Amino acid sequence: MRHLIIGGGTAGINAIRTIREEERESSEITLVSAERPYSRMVLPYYLDRSIAESHVFTATAALLARWNVKTHVGRRAASLDTRGSVCTLDDGATIGYDDCLIATGSSAVRAPVPGADGPGVHSFWTLDEARGVIAQVRPGRHVAMIGAGFISFTILNSILALGAKLTIVEIAPRILPRMIDVTGAGIVEAWLQAHGVAIRAGAAVTKIEDAKSRTRLRFKSGPDIVCDVVVMATGIKTNLEWLKGAGVHVNRGVVVDERLRSIVPNVYAAGDVAEGRDLVTGQPTVHAIEPTAQEHGRVAGANMAGRDVTYRGSLLMNIVEVCHLDVASFGAWDDAKAETFTGLRAERPAYRKLLFTGDRLTGAMILGRSSDVWTTNDIGMLKGLVQSGVPLGSWKEYLRKNPFDVKPAFIASKTTAKLLPETVLGRPAKAPGDTPVAV
Amino acid sequence: MRVLALHPEKCTGCLRCELACSYMQTGEFKPAKSVIRVSPFEGHTSYSPYTCTQCAEGWCMTACPVGAITINAAGAKDVVDDRCVGCKLCTIACPYGTMFYDPDTRKAFKCDLCGGAPACADACPTAAITYEDTATTDWIGDFARERTARLLVVG
Repeated sequence: MRHLIIGGGTAGINAIRTIREEERESSEITLVSAERPYSRMVLPYYLDRSIAESHVFTATAALLARWNVKTHVGRRAASLDTRGSVCTLDDGATIGYDDCLIATGSSAVRAPVPGADGPGVHSFWTLDEARGVIAQVRPGRHVAMIGAGFISFTILNSILALGAKLTIVEIAPRILPRMIDVTGAGIVEAWLQAHGVAIRAGAAVTKIEDAKSRTRLRFKSGPDIVCDVVVMATGIKTNLEWLKGAGVHVNRGVVVDERLRSIVPNVYAAGDVAEGRDLVTGQPTVHAIEPTAQEHGRVAGANMAGRDVTYRGSLLMNIVEVCHLDVASFGAWDDAKAETFTGLRAERPAYRKLLFTGDRLTGAMILGRSSDVWTTNDIGMLKGLVQSGVPLGSWKEYLRKNPFDVKPAFIASKTTAKLLPETVLGRPAKAPGDTPVAV
Repeated sequence: MRVLALHPEKCTGCLRCELACSYMQTGEFKPAKSVIRVSPFEGHTSYSPYTCTQCAEGWCMTACPVGAITINAAGAKDVVDDRCVGCKLCTIACPYGTMFYDPDTRKAFKCDLCGGAPACADACPTAAITYEDTATTDWIGDFARERTARLLVVG
């Protein structure tokens, strides 16, 4: 059996590992990866120097050799011929396969503003881009972040920790539009301003230009900003272009079934590039989050290794911390059709939003000081309630009145009993070091 | 595998388990840093401890992007501090709410069964927490359901 893994991110590496865990007889695995495999999640900690660069790599050359993986690192897949089961790389090399996994992820896109491709403007998505930002952010420098979304917020602490001055620019009237609601955004905004971060929401950048070794941002209205570094985090796009004519069905991503299989039976897709089932809504979706990539990769890998594993779907979840204020959201936290209970304690600050469909929790948001939220079991319990879909019965009314008192509802609804048999691969997970070595 | 068995009907709510746990985990008596936590039920007339089940999936372990959560000699999912960067993915992946983050150390922390000699079980004066070779289960769900029934009716 010849497996081809295209993409060395979270989905691809989890697939490789799972193939080695699950296969009955040793197969041939080839990895094509444009970059050395690393974890995007930990780049913010490389940015603030709390870890060395070596810490970001997930599958080193030595580990891939131990797993007996043939590698084409530094090469991109240029096209896929699913009829002939052949992948052509950007250097013209061709690789035949018996089955393959499309896991080419996504990349940062910049707002279509004149000057956005200038030398003082950076994205923060790949390791190379992270290196570019690291070289520029220094004490006393003024960093302007364009885009107040999740990616910006993951590096906000790092930029402040490095002693830089920070201004956040957002075209929408408020920050974090895809992660929290207006009330939550207002709390975070006030919190950031109290910590010395300037915020310009509802501000449309019209031009980015050089200003004597600094960079000037011009706006549709309001004063210019002159800064030293511009980080543009205005969104990501799925890396699909190379699949033109491949014969897989592409919508917002490569459409996959409950086995992570595309419409071509020996072609799988996983991670940011795959459009798979959402656990809560049941609808096909592209999450572009790490936990979805991890689960996709493992399920695809198990099926590629010959097991028959079906996937219940991915749960949307995010957590970000800004200046010791934690914000997390789960599931359909933005569902206008859901019955919504909120709780606000402005003085702490603490905010909750619970979204019900019938008597089941289908979405949740939690916001609070780090020193508060981790003295409770609530963050994970909210995830567990959404993941398990346990019927809450009379606890629903209790939570309407007591949105901060999640724990008795979780325990007395026997959520643990519902969750304990759940595993992604139908067996206990193995520890990271316990993957069998290929022979 | 030996796990922490919880017997809520024996729990008096004395919180010695929390003190012992935080002392083992951090060297200080700080219940806020304990990974076993006692909850009151029925208007503070009943209590139960609650902690990590060491579940089969190990949602925290599979979620960790840098392989910082492993299985220790006691069979517990355990955070390797030198690997953990503090990204908190494990805390939102764990559906039981038993994965925590310490703002002081900037690391995730959880029940590691004290490496095979759990301090909470040692400290419990009523054997409401025992360390037994048994299958993990929902130890306190039925108890909590019964001891909250009146609360829900009164609302």
